[in-house]
Amino acid sequence: MVLEATMICIDNSEWMRNGDYAPSRFQAQADAVNLICGAKTQSNPENTVGVMTMAGKGVRVLVTPTSDLGKILACMHGLEVGAEANLAAAIQVAQLALKHRQNKRQQQRIIAFIGSPVKYDKKVLETIGKKLKKNNVALDIVDFGESDDEKPEKLEALIAAVNSSDSSHIVHVPPGDNALSDVLLSTPIFTGEEGGSGFAASAAAAAATGASGFEFGVDPNVDPELALALRLSMEEERARQEAIAKKAAEDTSNTENKDHASSSNNDSVMAEAEPATNAATDDKKEQPKDDDDLLQQALAMSMEGGASGSATVADADMAEAGAVDPDLALALQMSVQDASMSSDSDMSKVFEDRSFVTSILNSLPGVDPNDPSVKDLLASLHGQGEQEKKEDKSDKPEDEKK
Amino acid sequence: MAAANTEAAAAAPPTAAPAAPVQVPRGQVDLVDFIDWTGVECLNQDSSHSIVNALKQIFRDDEGLYLASDSDEQLLIYIPFMQVVKLHSALFKGPEEEGPKTVKLFSNKEHMGFSNVNDYPPSDTLELSSNHLAENKPVQLKYVKFQNVRSLTIFIEGNQSESDVTKIHKIALYGTTVDTTNMKDLKKIEEH
Repeated sequence: MVLEATMICIDNSEWMRNGDYAPSRFQAQADAVNLICGAKTQSNPENTVGVMTMAGKGVRVLVTPTSDLGKILACMHGLEVGAEANLAAAIQVAQLALKHRQNKRQQQRIIAFIGSPVKYDKKVLETIGKKLKKNNVALDIVDFGESDDEKPEKLEALIAAVNSSDSSHIVHVPPGDNALSDVLLSTPIFTGEEGGSGFAASAAAAAATGASGFEFGVDPNVDPELALALRLSMEEERARQEAIAKKAAEDTSNTENKDHASSSNNDSVMAEAEPATNAATDDKKEQPKDDDDLLQQALAMSMEGGASGSATVADADMAEAGAVDPDLALALQMSVQDASMSSDSDMSKVFEDRSFVTSILNSLPGVDPNDPSVKDLLASLHGQGEQEKKEDKSDKPEDEKK
Repeated sequence: MAAANTEAAAAAPPTAAPAAPVQVPRGQVDLVDFIDWTGVECLNQDSSHSIVNALKQIFRDDEGLYLASDSDEQLLIYIPFMQVVKLHSALFKGPEEEGPKTVKLFSNKEHMGFSNVNDYPPSDTLELSSNHLAENKPVQLKYVKFQNVRSLTIFIEGNQSESDVTKIHKIALYGTTVDTTNMKDLKKIEEH
Protein backbone atom coordinates (compact mmCIF):
# COMPACT_ATOMS: atom_id res chain seq x y z
CA MET A 1 0.00 0.00 0.00
CA VAL A 2 2.94 2.34 -0.52
CA LEU A 3 1.99 5.59 -2.18
CA GLU A 4 4.00 5.55 -5.37
CA ALA A 5 4.44 7.28 -8.68
CA THR A 6 5.85 4.89 -11.25
CA MET A 7 7.33 5.50 -14.70
CA ILE A 8 7.49 2.44 -16.93
CA CYS A 9 10.14 2.54 -19.65
CA ILE A 10 9.25 0.30 -22.58
CA ASP A 11 11.88 -1.10 -24.90
CA ASN A 12 10.42 -0.85 -28.40
CA SER A 13 13.66 -1.31 -30.30
CA GLU A 14 14.20 -3.56 -33.30
CA TRP A 15 15.16 -6.45 -31.02
CA MET A 16 11.54 -6.66 -29.89
CA ARG A 17 10.42 -8.20 -33.15
CA ASN A 18 11.87 -11.53 -32.05
CA GLY A 19 9.42 -14.31 -31.29
CA ASP A 20 11.23 -16.17 -28.54
CA TYR A 21 8.62 -14.94 -26.10
CA ALA A 22 5.14 -15.80 -27.34
CA PRO A 23 3.75 -14.19 -29.48
CA SER A 24 6.53 -11.62 -29.85
CA ARG A 25 8.81 -9.92 -27.33
CA PHE A 26 6.97 -6.67 -27.76
CA GLN A 27 3.56 -8.23 -27.13
CA ALA A 28 4.78 -10.05 -24.05
CA GLN A 29 6.18 -6.79 -22.80
CA ALA A 30 2.90 -4.97 -23.45
CA ASP A 31 0.99 -7.61 -21.49
CA ALA A 32 3.38 -7.29 -18.60
CA VAL A 33 3.03 -3.51 -18.63
CA ASN A 34 -0.74 -3.77 -18.52
CA LEU A 35 -0.56 -6.12 -15.59
CA ILE A 36 1.83 -3.90 -13.67
CA CYS A 37 -0.36 -0.86 -14.20
CA GLY A 38 -3.35 -2.76 -12.91
CA ALA A 39 -1.48 -4.02 -9.89
CA LYS A 40 -0.10 -0.63 -8.95
CA THR A 41 -3.39 1.20 -9.21
CA GLN A 42 -5.19 -1.51 -7.31
CA SER A 43 -2.77 -1.66 -4.43
CA ASN A 44 -3.31 2.02 -3.71
CA PRO A 45 -5.94 4.12 -5.50
CA GLU A 46 -3.73 7.18 -5.28
CA ASN A 47 -0.85 5.53 -7.08
CA THR A 48 0.00 6.93 -10.48
CA VAL A 49 1.68 5.22 -13.39
CA GLY A 50 3.23 6.74 -16.48
CA VAL A 51 4.58 5.14 -19.65
CA MET A 52 7.41 6.14 -21.96
CA THR A 53 9.33 4.61 -24.82
CA MET A 54 13.06 4.15 -24.98
CA ALA A 55 13.34 3.60 -28.74
CA GLY A 56 11.07 3.88 -31.75
CA LYS A 57 10.64 7.56 -32.53
CA GLY A 58 12.93 8.37 -29.66
CA VAL A 59 12.70 8.74 -25.94
CA ARG A 60 9.17 10.00 -25.49
CA VAL A 61 6.75 10.13 -22.62
CA LEU A 62 3.50 8.58 -23.82
CA VAL A 63 1.52 9.15 -20.64
CA THR A 64 2.54 11.28 -17.66
CA PRO A 65 1.92 9.59 -14.32
CA THR A 66 -1.82 9.12 -13.96
CA SER A 67 -4.15 6.83 -12.09
CA ASP A 68 -6.40 6.45 -15.11
CA LEU A 69 -5.87 2.90 -16.33
CA GLY A 70 -7.75 3.51 -19.57
CA LYS A 71 -5.33 6.19 -20.69
CA ILE A 72 -2.41 3.90 -20.08
CA LEU A 73 -3.91 0.98 -21.99
CA ALA A 74 -4.86 3.27 -24.86
CA CYS A 75 -1.37 4.66 -25.28
CA MET A 76 0.11 1.17 -25.55
CA HIS A 77 -2.00 0.63 -28.60
CA GLY A 78 -0.40 1.40 -31.95
CA LEU A 79 3.19 1.59 -30.77
CA GLU A 80 5.72 0.95 -33.50
CA VAL A 81 8.89 -1.08 -33.08
CA GLY A 82 12.23 0.17 -34.34
CA ALA A 83 15.55 1.88 -33.76
CA GLU A 84 17.78 1.47 -30.74
CA ALA A 85 16.97 1.94 -27.08
CA ASN A 86 18.69 4.81 -25.28
CA LEU A 87 18.76 3.70 -21.67
CA ALA A 88 20.63 6.63 -20.10
CA ALA A 89 18.46 9.29 -21.70
CA ALA A 90 15.34 7.30 -20.90
CA ILE A 91 16.17 7.11 -17.20
CA GLN A 92 16.88 10.82 -17.10
CA VAL A 93 13.60 11.64 -18.76
CA ALA A 94 11.79 9.27 -16.42
CA GLN A 95 13.41 11.01 -13.46
CA LEU A 96 12.27 14.36 -14.74
CA ALA A 97 8.73 13.12 -15.28
CA LEU A 98 8.65 11.82 -11.73
CA LYS A 99 10.06 15.03 -10.37
CA HIS A 100 7.11 16.92 -11.74
CA ARG A 101 4.53 14.56 -10.33
CA GLN A 102 1.47 16.23 -8.94
CA ASN A 103 1.43 14.59 -5.54
CA LYS A 104 4.83 15.21 -4.00
CA ARG A 105 4.13 12.71 -1.24
CA GLN A 106 4.44 9.79 -3.64
CA GLN A 107 7.58 7.69 -3.66
CA GLN A 108 9.37 7.70 -6.99
CA ARG A 109 9.94 4.49 -8.91
CA ILE A 110 11.13 3.63 -12.42
CA ILE A 111 10.44 0.22 -13.98
CA ALA A 112 12.63 -0.44 -17.01
CA PHE A 113 12.12 -3.29 -19.47
CA ILE A 114 15.48 -3.96 -21.06
CA GLY A 115 15.31 -6.41 -23.95
CA SER A 116 18.03 -5.08 -26.21
CA PRO A 117 21.77 -5.21 -25.55
CA VAL A 118 23.17 -2.61 -23.16
CA LYS A 119 25.92 -0.61 -24.85
CA TYR A 120 26.99 1.41 -21.81
CA ASP A 121 29.91 0.74 -19.50
CA LYS A 122 29.43 -0.51 -16.01
CA LYS A 123 30.89 2.79 -14.75
CA VAL A 124 28.35 4.88 -16.62
CA LEU A 125 25.53 2.73 -15.31
CA GLU A 126 26.82 3.01 -11.77
CA THR A 127 26.90 6.80 -12.05
CA ILE A 128 23.33 6.76 -13.28
CA GLY A 129 22.40 4.51 -10.38
CA LYS A 130 24.06 6.77 -7.83
CA LYS A 131 22.23 9.76 -9.17
CA LEU A 132 18.92 7.92 -8.82
CA LYS A 133 19.75 6.94 -5.27
CA LYS A 134 20.71 10.49 -4.41
CA ASN A 135 17.32 11.68 -5.55
CA ASN A 136 15.54 8.89 -3.71
CA VAL A 137 14.25 7.15 -6.83
CA ALA A 138 13.83 3.37 -6.77
CA LEU A 139 14.52 1.32 -9.89
CA ASP A 140 13.17 -2.06 -11.01
CA ILE A 141 14.70 -3.78 -14.03
CA VAL A 142 13.19 -6.56 -16.11
CA ASP A 143 16.04 -8.18 -17.97
CA PHE A 144 14.69 -10.22 -20.88
CA GLY A 145 15.28 -10.78 -24.59
CA GLU A 146 18.88 -10.34 -25.71
CA SER A 147 21.41 -11.65 -23.29
CA ASP A 148 25.05 -11.21 -24.11
CA ASP A 149 27.83 -12.01 -21.66
CA GLU A 150 27.91 -8.80 -19.76
CA LYS A 151 24.34 -7.64 -19.76
CA PRO A 152 23.22 -9.34 -16.52
CA GLU A 153 26.34 -8.15 -14.70
CA LYS A 154 25.96 -4.60 -15.89
CA LEU A 155 22.34 -4.47 -14.85
CA GLU A 156 23.13 -6.03 -11.48
CA ALA A 157 25.75 -3.34 -10.95
CA LEU A 158 23.19 -0.68 -11.81
CA ILE A 159 20.73 -2.07 -9.31
CA ALA A 160 23.42 -2.33 -6.65
CA ALA A 161 24.23 1.36 -7.16
CA VAL A 162 20.58 2.42 -6.91
CA ASN A 163 19.49 0.12 -4.18
CA SER A 164 18.85 1.59 -0.78
CA SER A 165 17.25 -0.69 1.80
CA ASP A 166 16.07 -3.22 -0.73
CA SER A 167 13.66 -1.01 -2.63
CA SER A 168 15.13 -1.76 -6.06
CA HIS A 169 14.91 -5.14 -7.75
CA ILE A 170 16.06 -6.90 -10.89
CA VAL A 171 14.41 -9.88 -12.55
CA HIS A 172 16.06 -11.95 -15.27
CA VAL A 173 13.48 -13.67 -17.49
CA PRO A 174 14.89 -16.30 -19.83
CA PRO A 175 12.91 -17.13 -22.96
CA GLY A 176 10.63 -20.13 -22.64
CA ASP A 177 7.11 -21.36 -22.32
CA ASN A 178 6.11 -19.16 -19.44
CA ALA A 179 4.73 -15.82 -20.41
CA LEU A 180 6.70 -12.79 -19.29
CA SER A 181 3.77 -11.53 -17.23
CA ASP A 182 3.37 -14.84 -15.40
CA VAL A 183 7.00 -14.88 -14.36
CA LEU A 184 6.78 -11.30 -13.16
CA LEU A 185 3.69 -11.94 -11.05
CA SER A 186 5.66 -13.74 -8.39
CA THR A 187 8.51 -11.25 -8.22
CA PRO A 188 8.94 -8.33 -5.83
CA ILE A 189 8.17 -6.03 -8.75
CA PHE A 190 4.58 -7.01 -8.39
CA THR A 191 4.33 -7.82 -4.77
CA GLY A 192 6.29 -4.82 -3.56
CA GLU A 193 8.26 -4.65 -0.36
CA GLU A 194 5.36 -5.40 1.89
CA GLY A 195 4.67 -8.57 0.01
CA GLY A 196 1.01 -7.79 -0.42
CA SER A 197 -1.16 -6.55 -3.17
CA GLY A 198 -4.52 -8.19 -3.45
CA PHE A 199 -4.35 -8.22 -7.22
CA ALA A 200 -1.02 -9.96 -7.38
CA ALA A 201 -1.83 -12.41 -4.64
CA SER A 202 -5.06 -13.62 -6.15
CA ALA A 203 -3.64 -13.76 -9.62
CA ALA A 204 -0.56 -15.72 -8.58
CA ALA A 205 -2.42 -18.41 -6.64
CA ALA A 206 0.09 -17.87 -3.83
CA ALA A 207 2.14 -21.04 -3.85
CA ALA A 208 3.95 -19.96 -0.73
CA THR A 209 1.13 -19.27 1.64
CA GLY A 210 -1.45 -21.65 0.36
CA ALA A 211 -4.33 -19.30 1.08
CA SER A 212 -4.58 -15.62 0.36
CA GLY A 213 -8.13 -14.55 0.91
CA PHE A 214 -9.53 -17.47 -1.06
CA GLU A 215 -9.65 -21.06 0.03
CA PHE A 216 -7.08 -23.16 -1.80
CA GLY A 217 -5.64 -19.97 -3.31
CA VAL A 218 -7.89 -20.25 -6.33
CA ASP A 219 -10.66 -17.80 -6.96
CA PRO A 220 -13.92 -19.74 -7.26
CA ASN A 221 -15.18 -17.05 -9.60
CA VAL A 222 -12.21 -17.38 -11.89
CA ASP A 223 -12.13 -21.15 -12.04
CA PRO A 224 -15.04 -22.89 -10.32
CA GLU A 225 -14.25 -26.36 -11.61
CA LEU A 226 -10.72 -26.27 -10.37
CA ALA A 227 -11.85 -24.95 -7.00
CA LEU A 228 -14.42 -27.75 -6.76
CA ALA A 229 -11.88 -30.38 -7.72
CA LEU A 230 -9.50 -29.10 -5.09
CA ARG A 231 -12.17 -29.13 -2.42
CA LEU A 232 -13.21 -32.70 -3.25
CA SER A 233 -9.67 -33.97 -3.25
CA MET A 234 -9.11 -32.20 0.04
CA GLU A 235 -12.01 -33.97 1.67
CA GLU A 236 -11.04 -37.32 0.27
CA GLU A 237 -7.55 -36.86 1.58
CA ARG A 238 -8.84 -35.90 5.01
CA ALA A 239 -10.98 -39.04 5.21
CA ARG A 240 -8.04 -41.17 4.17
CA GLN A 241 -5.79 -39.61 6.76
CA GLU A 242 -8.29 -40.20 9.53
CA ALA A 243 -8.48 -43.85 8.64
CA ILE A 244 -4.69 -44.11 8.75
CA ALA A 245 -4.54 -42.23 12.02
CA LYS A 246 -7.07 -44.58 13.58
CA LYS A 247 -4.97 -47.59 12.70
CA ALA A 248 -1.80 -46.10 14.02
CA ALA A 249 -3.52 -44.97 17.23
CA GLU A 250 -1.98 -45.45 20.65
CA ASP A 251 -2.74 -42.39 22.71
CA THR A 252 -6.23 -41.11 23.53
CA SER A 253 -5.71 -37.89 25.46
CA ASN A 254 -7.70 -35.10 23.87
CA THR A 255 -5.51 -32.07 23.57
CA GLU A 256 -6.69 -28.55 23.13
CA ASN A 257 -6.22 -26.55 19.98
CA LYS A 258 -7.81 -29.11 17.76
CA ASP A 259 -8.76 -26.45 15.24
CA HIS A 260 -5.19 -25.30 14.95
CA ALA A 261 -3.93 -28.81 14.54
CA SER A 262 -6.41 -29.77 11.88
CA SER A 263 -5.87 -26.56 9.98
CA SER A 264 -2.10 -27.01 10.00
CA ASN A 265 -2.76 -30.50 8.71
CA ASN A 266 -4.80 -29.02 5.89
CA ASP A 267 -2.09 -26.48 5.10
CA SER A 268 0.60 -29.11 4.76
CA VAL A 269 -1.50 -31.10 2.33
CA MET A 270 -2.59 -28.00 0.44
CA ALA A 271 0.95 -26.70 0.13
CA GLU A 272 1.84 -29.86 -1.74
CA ALA A 273 -1.25 -29.62 -3.88
CA GLU A 274 -0.61 -25.93 -4.58
CA PRO A 275 2.40 -26.18 -6.92
CA ALA A 276 0.48 -28.76 -8.89
CA THR A 277 -2.59 -26.59 -9.12
CA ASN A 278 -0.49 -23.54 -9.94
CA ALA A 279 1.06 -25.38 -12.83
CA ALA A 280 -2.38 -26.55 -13.84
CA THR A 281 -3.69 -22.98 -13.84
CA ASP A 282 -0.78 -21.78 -15.94
CA ASP A 283 -1.23 -24.57 -18.42
CA LYS A 284 -4.87 -23.81 -18.68
CA LYS A 285 -4.16 -20.26 -19.64
CA GLU A 286 -1.77 -21.19 -22.39
CA GLN A 287 -3.49 -24.18 -24.02
CA PRO A 288 -7.06 -24.88 -22.93
CA LYS A 289 -7.15 -28.50 -21.78
CA ASP A 290 -10.02 -30.85 -21.27
CA ASP A 291 -11.69 -30.21 -17.93
CA ASP A 292 -11.69 -33.90 -17.06
CA ASP A 293 -7.96 -34.12 -17.63
CA LEU A 294 -7.40 -31.26 -15.24
CA LEU A 295 -9.60 -32.82 -12.60
CA GLN A 296 -7.71 -36.07 -12.92
CA GLN A 297 -4.45 -34.26 -12.70
CA ALA A 298 -5.49 -32.33 -9.61
CA LEU A 299 -6.73 -35.48 -7.89
CA ALA A 300 -3.60 -37.44 -8.79
CA MET A 301 -1.35 -34.64 -7.56
CA SER A 302 -3.21 -34.27 -4.28
CA MET A 303 -3.10 -38.03 -3.73
CA GLU A 304 0.65 -38.03 -4.18
CA GLY A 305 0.88 -35.08 -1.89
CA GLY A 306 -1.28 -36.85 0.61
CA ALA A 307 0.97 -39.92 0.63
CA SER A 308 3.87 -37.94 1.95
CA GLY A 309 1.54 -35.93 4.13
CA SER A 310 0.12 -38.97 5.83
CA ALA A 311 3.53 -39.82 7.24
CA THR A 312 3.49 -36.58 9.18
CA VAL A 313 -0.04 -37.32 10.31
CA ALA A 314 0.98 -40.71 11.60
CA ASP A 315 3.69 -39.06 13.61
CA ALA A 316 1.24 -36.51 14.93
CA ASP A 317 -0.65 -37.14 18.10
CA MET A 318 -3.58 -39.40 17.55
CA ALA A 319 -5.68 -37.11 19.68
CA GLU A 320 -5.66 -34.49 16.94
CA ALA A 321 -7.27 -36.80 14.46
CA GLY A 322 -9.62 -38.09 17.08
CA ALA A 323 -10.60 -34.68 18.31
CA VAL A 324 -11.83 -33.69 14.89
CA ASP A 325 -14.57 -36.27 14.96
CA PRO A 326 -16.33 -37.00 18.28
CA ASP A 327 -17.52 -40.38 17.04
CA LEU A 328 -14.02 -41.28 16.15
CA ALA A 329 -12.92 -40.22 19.62
CA LEU A 330 -15.45 -42.52 21.18
CA ALA A 331 -14.37 -45.38 18.99
CA LEU A 332 -10.77 -44.79 19.93
CA GLN A 333 -11.60 -44.70 23.60
CA MET A 334 -13.45 -47.95 23.42
CA SER A 335 -10.67 -49.64 21.52
CA VAL A 336 -8.19 -48.53 24.13
CA GLN A 337 -10.44 -49.73 26.90
CA ASP A 338 -10.68 -53.08 25.25
CA ALA A 339 -6.94 -53.19 25.02
CA SER A 340 -6.54 -52.44 28.70
CA MET A 341 -9.12 -54.93 29.62
CA SER A 342 -7.46 -57.67 27.68
CA SER A 343 -4.38 -57.30 29.84
CA ASP A 344 -6.35 -58.49 32.85
CA SER A 345 -6.94 -62.12 33.47
CA ASP A 346 -9.64 -63.84 31.55
CA MET A 347 -11.25 -64.95 34.76
CA SER A 348 -12.07 -61.46 35.96
CA LYS A 349 -13.58 -60.77 32.61
CA VAL A 350 -15.91 -63.65 33.10
CA PHE A 351 -16.91 -62.43 36.50
CA GLU A 352 -17.75 -59.02 35.02
CA ASP A 353 -20.62 -60.68 33.35
CA ARG A 354 -23.27 -60.67 35.99
CA SER A 355 -25.71 -62.92 34.27
CA PHE A 356 -23.11 -65.63 33.88
CA VAL A 357 -22.31 -65.57 37.57
CA THR A 358 -25.97 -65.69 38.49
CA SER A 359 -26.49 -68.70 36.25
CA ILE A 360 -23.60 -70.50 37.90
CA LEU A 361 -24.97 -69.76 41.33
CA ASN A 362 -28.36 -71.02 40.29
CA SER A 363 -26.88 -74.32 39.24
CA LEU A 364 -25.23 -74.74 42.62
CA PRO A 365 -27.30 -76.72 45.14
CA GLY A 366 -28.17 -74.90 48.31
CA VAL A 367 -27.38 -71.44 46.95
CA ASP A 368 -30.21 -69.01 46.69
CA PRO A 369 -29.32 -65.98 44.50
CA ASN A 370 -31.81 -63.90 46.42
CA ASP A 371 -30.07 -64.52 49.70
CA PRO A 372 -28.60 -61.26 50.95
CA SER A 373 -25.31 -62.89 51.77
CA VAL A 374 -25.09 -64.19 48.24
CA LYS A 375 -25.88 -60.75 46.94
CA ASP A 376 -23.14 -59.28 49.07
CA LEU A 377 -20.79 -61.86 47.74
CA LEU A 378 -21.71 -60.96 44.20
CA ALA A 379 -21.13 -57.29 44.89
CA SER A 380 -17.80 -57.97 46.45
CA LEU A 381 -16.82 -60.16 43.55
CA HIS A 382 -17.05 -57.25 41.18
CA GLY A 383 -15.07 -55.06 43.49
CA GLN A 384 -12.34 -57.58 44.26
CA GLY A 385 -8.96 -58.14 42.73
CA GLU A 386 -7.68 -60.88 40.50
CA GLN A 387 -6.57 -63.44 43.05
CA GLU A 388 -9.83 -63.67 44.94
CA LYS A 389 -11.73 -64.10 41.76
CA LYS A 390 -9.43 -66.85 40.73
CA GLU A 391 -9.90 -68.63 44.04
CA ASP A 392 -13.66 -68.42 43.81
CA LYS A 393 -13.59 -69.72 40.32
CA SER A 394 -11.44 -72.65 41.31
CA ASP A 395 -13.83 -73.37 44.24
CA LYS A 396 -16.91 -73.35 42.13
CA PRO A 397 -15.84 -75.87 39.50
CA GLU A 398 -14.88 -78.21 42.36
CA ASP A 399 -18.28 -77.72 43.82
CA GLU A 400 -19.85 -78.41 40.50
CA LYS A 401 -17.87 -81.54 40.11
CA LYS A 402 -19.25 -82.72 43.36
CA MET B 1 21.00 43.45 21.60
CA ALA B 2 20.76 39.76 20.94
CA ALA B 3 22.72 40.15 17.74
CA ALA B 4 25.58 41.88 19.55
CA ASN B 5 25.76 39.12 22.12
CA THR B 6 26.08 36.29 19.64
CA GLU B 7 28.61 38.12 17.50
CA ALA B 8 30.78 38.82 20.48
CA ALA B 9 30.58 35.23 21.58
CA ALA B 10 31.51 33.96 18.13
CA ALA B 11 34.57 36.23 18.03
CA ALA B 12 35.79 35.06 21.44
CA PRO B 13 38.09 32.03 21.64
CA PRO B 14 36.15 28.77 21.55
CA THR B 15 35.04 27.30 24.85
CA ALA B 16 36.97 24.24 25.98
CA ALA B 17 34.38 21.63 26.84
CA PRO B 18 32.14 20.45 23.99
CA ALA B 19 29.47 19.72 26.56
CA ALA B 20 29.02 23.40 27.36
CA PRO B 21 25.35 24.33 27.32
CA VAL B 22 24.09 26.19 24.28
CA GLN B 23 23.52 29.87 24.74
CA VAL B 24 20.16 30.46 23.23
CA PRO B 25 20.13 33.99 21.85
CA ARG B 26 18.16 36.49 23.88
CA GLY B 27 14.51 36.60 23.03
CA GLN B 28 14.68 33.58 20.76
CA VAL B 29 13.37 30.09 21.25
CA ASP B 30 14.55 26.77 20.00
CA LEU B 31 12.27 26.06 17.07
CA VAL B 32 12.52 22.28 17.36
CA ASP B 33 9.06 22.25 18.93
CA PHE B 34 7.55 23.84 15.86
CA ILE B 35 8.92 21.44 13.30
CA ASP B 36 6.28 19.46 11.44
CA TRP B 37 7.86 16.03 11.67
CA THR B 38 5.58 14.37 9.14
CA GLY B 39 7.00 16.51 6.38
CA VAL B 40 10.68 16.42 7.23
CA GLU B 41 12.70 14.98 4.35
CA CYS B 42 16.36 14.49 3.69
CA LEU B 43 17.77 13.56 0.31
CA ASN B 44 20.97 11.51 0.04
CA GLN B 45 20.98 10.51 3.67
CA ASP B 46 22.38 7.20 4.82
CA SER B 47 19.39 5.18 5.98
CA SER B 48 21.12 4.10 9.16
CA HIS B 49 22.19 7.65 9.99
CA SER B 50 19.13 9.66 9.29
CA ILE B 51 18.01 13.25 9.71
CA VAL B 52 16.26 12.42 12.97
CA ASN B 53 19.63 11.95 14.63
CA ALA B 54 20.52 15.54 13.96
CA LEU B 55 17.21 17.28 14.49
CA LYS B 56 15.24 15.63 17.25
CA GLN B 57 15.57 16.72 20.86
CA ILE B 58 17.28 13.80 22.55
CA PHE B 59 18.96 12.31 19.49
CA ARG B 60 20.82 15.42 18.57
CA ASP B 61 22.52 15.70 21.94
CA ASP B 62 23.81 12.17 21.76
CA GLU B 63 27.36 12.25 20.45
CA GLY B 64 27.06 8.77 19.04
CA LEU B 65 24.15 9.59 16.73
CA TYR B 66 24.72 11.63 13.63
CA LEU B 67 23.35 12.35 10.19
CA ALA B 68 25.53 10.99 7.39
CA SER B 69 25.34 11.40 3.62
CA ASP B 70 25.18 8.42 1.30
CA SER B 71 26.23 8.57 -2.36
CA ASP B 72 28.28 11.74 -2.15
CA GLU B 73 28.93 14.55 0.29
CA GLN B 74 25.86 16.70 -0.43
CA LEU B 75 22.70 16.73 1.62
CA LEU B 76 19.37 18.34 1.03
CA ILE B 77 17.19 18.75 4.10
CA TYR B 78 13.60 19.98 3.96
CA ILE B 79 12.02 21.16 7.21
CA PRO B 80 8.42 22.38 7.26
CA PHE B 81 7.11 24.20 10.30
CA MET B 82 3.75 23.90 11.95
CA GLN B 83 3.32 27.63 11.93
CA VAL B 84 5.01 30.63 10.44
CA VAL B 85 8.27 31.50 12.17
CA LYS B 86 11.04 34.06 12.02
CA LEU B 87 14.50 32.55 11.89
CA HIS B 88 17.23 34.26 13.83
CA SER B 89 20.18 31.90 13.98
CA ALA B 90 21.21 28.35 13.31
CA LEU B 91 23.57 25.99 15.07
CA PHE B 92 25.50 23.23 13.32
CA LYS B 93 27.56 20.70 15.18
CA GLY B 94 29.73 18.10 13.53
CA PRO B 95 33.12 16.40 13.48
CA GLU B 96 36.11 18.51 12.55
CA GLU B 97 36.80 16.77 9.27
CA GLU B 98 33.49 15.63 7.94
CA GLY B 99 31.33 18.39 9.29
CA PRO B 100 29.50 20.70 6.90
CA LYS B 101 31.33 23.62 5.32
CA THR B 102 29.14 25.41 2.81
CA VAL B 103 25.51 25.57 3.80
CA LYS B 104 22.82 27.23 1.72
CA LEU B 105 19.45 28.04 3.21
CA PHE B 106 16.28 28.47 1.22
CA SER B 107 13.14 29.80 2.77
CA ASN B 108 9.69 28.64 1.61
CA LYS B 109 10.88 26.59 -1.33
CA GLU B 110 8.99 23.31 -1.47
CA HIS B 111 10.41 20.01 -2.64
CA MET B 112 13.69 21.04 -4.11
CA GLY B 113 15.94 18.52 -5.71
CA PHE B 114 19.68 18.46 -6.27
CA SER B 115 19.11 19.44 -9.88
CA ASN B 116 17.35 22.73 -9.21
CA VAL B 117 19.20 23.70 -6.07
CA ASN B 118 21.41 26.02 -8.08
CA ASP B 119 18.54 27.57 -9.98
CA TYR B 120 17.42 29.81 -7.14
CA PRO B 121 19.52 32.23 -5.14
CA PRO B 122 19.66 31.06 -1.54
CA SER B 123 18.12 33.16 1.21
CA ASP B 124 21.41 32.87 3.03
CA THR B 125 24.75 31.12 2.66
CA LEU B 126 26.88 30.05 5.62
CA GLU B 127 30.54 29.21 5.46
CA LEU B 128 31.20 27.12 8.53
CA SER B 129 34.66 26.64 9.94
CA SER B 130 35.69 23.86 12.27
CA ASN B 131 35.46 26.40 15.08
CA HIS B 132 31.80 26.89 14.41
CA LEU B 133 31.23 23.18 14.52
CA ALA B 134 32.96 22.68 17.83
CA GLU B 135 31.80 25.80 19.63
CA ASN B 136 28.16 24.94 20.15
CA LYS B 137 27.22 28.55 19.49
CA PRO B 138 24.58 29.53 16.97
CA VAL B 139 25.53 31.34 13.79
CA GLN B 140 23.51 34.41 12.99
CA LEU B 141 21.44 34.48 9.83
CA LYS B 142 20.23 37.34 7.67
CA TYR B 143 17.22 37.99 9.82
CA VAL B 144 15.42 40.13 7.26
CA LYS B 145 15.31 37.27 4.79
CA PHE B 146 13.67 34.93 7.24
CA GLN B 147 10.70 36.92 8.47
CA ASN B 148 7.97 34.72 7.19
CA VAL B 149 9.22 31.17 7.09
CA ARG B 150 6.85 28.27 6.54
CA SER B 151 9.49 25.80 5.49
CA LEU B 152 13.27 25.75 5.38
CA THR B 153 15.47 23.90 2.95
CA ILE B 154 19.06 23.33 3.98
CA PHE B 155 21.48 22.43 1.21
CA ILE B 156 24.85 21.21 2.42
CA GLU B 157 27.19 21.58 -0.47
CA GLY B 158 30.42 20.27 0.95
CA ASN B 159 32.30 19.33 4.08
CA GLN B 160 35.46 20.52 5.80
CA SER B 161 37.84 17.95 4.43
CA GLU B 162 36.25 17.38 0.99
CA SER B 163 35.63 13.75 1.88
CA ASP B 164 32.89 11.64 0.41
CA VAL B 165 30.77 11.53 3.50
CA THR B 166 29.39 14.48 5.42
CA LYS B 167 28.49 13.95 9.06
CA ILE B 168 26.38 16.24 11.22
CA HIS B 169 25.77 15.74 14.92
CA LYS B 170 23.27 18.47 15.49
CA ILE B 171 21.20 21.06 13.70
CA ALA B 172 19.32 23.57 15.84
CA LEU B 173 17.29 26.54 14.71
CA TYR B 174 16.54 29.58 16.84
CA GLY B 175 13.94 32.23 16.28
CA THR B 176 10.50 33.40 17.22
CA THR B 177 7.04 32.49 16.13
CA VAL B 178 4.79 34.87 14.31
CA ASP B 179 1.57 35.10 16.26
CA THR B 180 -0.93 33.07 14.36
CA THR B 181 -4.02 31.27 15.51
CA ASN B 182 -3.20 28.14 17.40
CA MET B 183 -5.98 25.84 16.27
CA LYS B 184 -5.91 23.91 19.51
CA ASP B 185 -6.85 27.00 21.45
CA LEU B 186 -9.83 27.62 19.30
CA LYS B 187 -12.88 26.81 21.39
CA LYS B 188 -16.50 26.78 20.51
CA ILE B 189 -18.50 29.69 21.87
CA GLU B 190 -20.99 28.47 24.43
CA GLU B 191 -24.50 29.32 23.46
CA HIS B 192 -26.99 30.16 26.15
